[in-house]
Amino acid sequence: MTPSDTVRPVSKVPVFLRLSLVLCLVSPCGARAETGGADHEALKAESEAFFSDRVTPFIKNYCIACHQNRRPTQAGVNFSPALKAPGHAAFHDQWKRAVARVKAHDMPPEGAPQPSDADRRMFVDWISKLKYLSEKDPGRFVIRRLTKTEYGNTLHDLFGVEPSMADGLPDEVSGEGYLNSLSPLQLEQYLTIADRVLDRIVAPDDAPPTEVQKRLFGEPAAPETGTREAAREVARSLARKAYRRPPTQAELDVLVEAFELGRQNDLGYEQSLHLMLKAVLVSPQFLFITPSGEIESNTRIVPLDDYQLASRLSYFLWATMPDNELMVLADSGTLHEPEILEAQVKRLLQDRRSRALFDGFGAQWLGVGGLDIQVFDPTVFPQMTAEMRDAMYNEARLFFESIVRENRSIINFIGGDYTYLNRTLASIYGLEETVWGPEMRRVQLSDGNRGGVLTMPGVLAATSFPNRTSAVKRGVWVLEQLLGEHVPAAPPNVPVLDEQVQGTVVDLSLRERTELHRTNPVCANCHQILDPIGFGLENFDAIGRWRDRDDNGEAIDAAGELPSGERFSGPEDLKAIIAGRIDDLAGNLVEKLLAYALGRRLEGYDEIVVDNLMREIAGDGYRMQTLINAVVTSYPFTHRRIEEERSSNEKKRAD
Amino acid sequence: MRKSALIDRRACLKGLGVSLALPLMDTMGWADTAKGQAYKPPVRLGFMYMPHGVIMDQFWPADAENYLSSPPPALESLRPVLDQCLTMKGISGVSIAPFNGAPHALELSTWLTATLPSADKRNEINIAISADQIAANHVGAFTTLPSLELATMPQNWKENQEGLNEGYYSHCSYRSPTQVVPAEINPRNVFNRLFRKPEQHGDGRESTQVNALDRSLLDIVLGGARDLRRTLPRSDQRKLDEYLDSVRSVERRIAAIEYRQKEAALEKAGVRASKRNATDSPPIEIKIPEGDKRSEYMQVMCDLNVLAFQTDTTRVSTYIGSRPNGASYPELGFSDQHHSQTHHQNDPEMVAKVAKITEFNIAQFAYMVKKMHGLREADGTLLDNCIMMWGSGLEDGNEHTRENLPFVVAGSGGGAIKTGRFLPNTKGNQGDLLTTLLACAGIPLDRPVGIATKQFEEIKA
Repeated sequence: MTPSDTVRPVSKVPVFLRLSLVLCLVSPCGARAETGGADHEALKAESEAFFSDRVTPFIKNYCIACHQNRRPTQAGVNFSPALKAPGHAAFHDQWKRAVARVKAHDMPPEGAPQPSDADRRMFVDWISKLKYLSEKDPGRFVIRRLTKTEYGNTLHDLFGVEPSMADGLPDEVSGEGYLNSLSPLQLEQYLTIADRVLDRIVAPDDAPPTEVQKRLFGEPAAPETGTREAAREVARSLARKAYRRPPTQAELDVLVEAFELGRQNDLGYEQSLHLMLKAVLVSPQFLFITPSGEIESNTRIVPLDDYQLASRLSYFLWATMPDNELMVLADSGTLHEPEILEAQVKRLLQDRRSRALFDGFGAQWLGVGGLDIQVFDPTVFPQMTAEMRDAMYNEARLFFESIVRENRSIINFIGGDYTYLNRTLASIYGLEETVWGPEMRRVQLSDGNRGGVLTMPGVLAATSFPNRTSAVKRGVWVLEQLLGEHVPAAPPNVPVLDEQVQGTVVDLSLRERTELHRTNPVCANCHQILDPIGFGLENFDAIGRWRDRDDNGEAIDAAGELPSGERFSGPEDLKAIIAGRIDDLAGNLVEKLLAYALGRRLEGYDEIVVDNLMREIAGDGYRMQTLINAVVTSYPFTHRRIEEERSSNEKKRAD
Repeated sequence: MRKSALIDRRACLKGLGVSLALPLMDTMGWADTAKGQAYKPPVRLGFMYMPHGVIMDQFWPADAENYLSSPPPALESLRPVLDQCLTMKGISGVSIAPFNGAPHALELSTWLTATLPSADKRNEINIAISADQIAANHVGAFTTLPSLELATMPQNWKENQEGLNEGYYSHCSYRSPTQVVPAEINPRNVFNRLFRKPEQHGDGRESTQVNALDRSLLDIVLGGARDLRRTLPRSDQRKLDEYLDSVRSVERRIAAIEYRQKEAALEKAGVRASKRNATDSPPIEIKIPEGDKRSEYMQVMCDLNVLAFQTDTTRVSTYIGSRPNGASYPELGFSDQHHSQTHHQNDPEMVAKVAKITEFNIAQFAYMVKKMHGLREADGTLLDNCIMMWGSGLEDGNEHTRENLPFVVAGSGGGAIKTGRFLPNTKGNQGDLLTTLLACAGIPLDRPVGIATKQFEEIKA
């Protein structure tokens, strides 16, 4: 007997992030976050009025008695602060949860006064207006440490060493959810790695200096001419590269001090410069992306300076430091101009370094980042060798990159009629007779059931169990990764299918078994959406090979119907249905990419930003570069918030 | 990755694996014992984790009386040292409402904090300092490393539960409410971190000089960082504080290494500086395994933990044996993931697999504490002077219950804990337990850990 899919029923809270789809609806305000200010103010005033006239009384009548500023608050939910600042980003989740519970008639609880159906509907519908209560705000921002990947790549660009120098650093979550923290463990590693870098780039005694040495430190100086002034010049050029902005005088002083430390310890001129380089490599200006000048304390929101913007852009698309062209534009103070920024996006994306966008973002989005370590049962799938996993990953990467670099519409992620194969991977497609050799190359697909990420072996394998397919996992993947809906986890105490109808279930096909989900009302809500999608892909086995019969030898029935009434007879139809939801696909991709670019979760005003970006993207046929451009030129990418506490503290000090 | 790691020139090859030699072999000593005083080894505190709970009827002893003579199947591997162990039933975990959909994201993060993340700031790290870091704050200054964090899987699991920051999923140690302490997963890096001198420069300077120079250099860099801090907005300043804190910690570490090197030099010159007994066991040998057997990997991390304690390189450790979600145990004969099997719904086959995984994990813990038990230290064994806690953040992975969290404590903490018992009716929560263990380790507490309301007097000697 094999473990069966855990039933994923709707908990009492329904799919509340249906709400996220609301984000994608086109609303009638201005074209850009920056220019839409007046419209936003009008909508904000309107929704504030609605909130105080309608929503506040609703909360006061039906919720506040149990959920207020008095201990104990029920379930830790307290509406008192949320009523005072309903548009504050911190309360958005709370509102969404509340609406979900009210919508499901979960709240108010039985026995408590119940709102009329109309009132209930009013509250539920209001949630789509919540975003208009937000202040215009670029969101949380804190100076960011380079990730492990970025750090390794930056060492490579600076010194020509392998990025794997950084391998000893702890692995971390990148993009949304990035921890941005620093511990002694990491700092010790930075010191050790700095030593290793020096070992690599410094020629042995008596040997002529390496090219890197010459580039960084200039020509070797005679002992008597190796002066403080010369060291300061070296520091200036070194810091400009490594700090990714011009150093301040104080920063140069620190580096010269490090040089002097070497001199005091009887080190020669060059050796003292090496010590200075070590200081650079453990300085916060190298490890973090820092502003190039002091920020005025009395402003709440400021644009990023051009050097910070250059770094943000470069680390976003390349996962490495800005190159010379970006630095020159930052020097001239023009990088932030939209046309220039757009031209740079185009240039960066054409460069091979933009592979980082897939490794950092695309792989995570498609869920193929863990293929190399995912467990497959070697007796069932001996094909899942390291080469195969590699080829699957690269297929997804090359396909993603083709859409980016050729500026195709994102609809191609679903409907693309080409892919990238080598001989190894071609065997999964049954094309091993036509595709030869270990190199991946572009292959035109004639089979309508193939093409696009939905039917890509890497994706199909990543959403399978070690020894068989999972219709549920595949359904969840489509909803969450492609369409941006949130599927709640199954509660733990729901019996799995086998247990519900023990004895009879063994004789049923997987499909028949899984369809039992829908006979149980607890499970049906989610599974009537999830399961048909998963079954539409059942013709692909757990590593993505086409099959007509399942593991039990039963013929596969890949036909189905979505709750919306759309019918399909197999993968090709299913792809067409998903492709038809282009607004959801684009909205989801924008949200995920923006969160990745900002390194944080979206909240509050970000929803307005996404609305605006969506209009821009839809207006240009959903092209991928337009989407990336929209993110790069967006308000939260180009601006930062300054926490308020500082100004009040400064005032205190001034008093 | 472990296989391809560079073999350094100091290492020698033995058998299949690589043995690592201790550079500071003869310099172990209790740095905080004043001259002339009788030597009492310090108490060391270790925590080892397994996710997803246990099979209850395989884990809980049938009764208190026959605990030692017929332990439950899950504890069988501990039999030789069971008289040095304490098992308690009745310790509840933190109740996770309003994060009911995040049972696994909260397993590790609540385990040593006994605290729920802040609901308002759920997408950031905002929880509480963990028990191990409380201990490190008090005893960390005496050793080369304030604390040691070990794991066997990268801490980058990306699964969003209830909007909680992904970091909660794979971290148990928190230096402050907002700062995680990452763990080291590469045994060779751990070894280097514990014992190796900083790498030598090409110019062949003596390592003590390098250390001294590094300290001075860090001082200079620290000054520059403070300059930078002054120009930054408040929120950035707090971020930079993590950096400043880390630099100071590394400076302290370099100072501790220098101190030990001086002691070593003195001893070589015939001046006996060490307070260790001549009868104490020599440091254990570390062999880096070559294959990818999970047991060998987990055991080399156990060895490193033992060696770190034995050499008083640190007095506090956490060891995430595996992270919630993602671990599988092919050497047990099946490829299924741990998590998927724990939702077994009493399917006998799945139950048996979870029981095997649990036994396997406890056997690794047993491997570690038995090793400690075999090492002489002062008048007893290393284990005598340790408090090693093994546990999970759930009782029953099938239903995500946390009413009776499984805990085993090995070692008496220098006589503070009365071991060799099963206490079937312990009434309290995991915060109470952590508070009690910290107290037994001699950590002065200004307030209880997390949800604690009391200490368990019944576990004390």
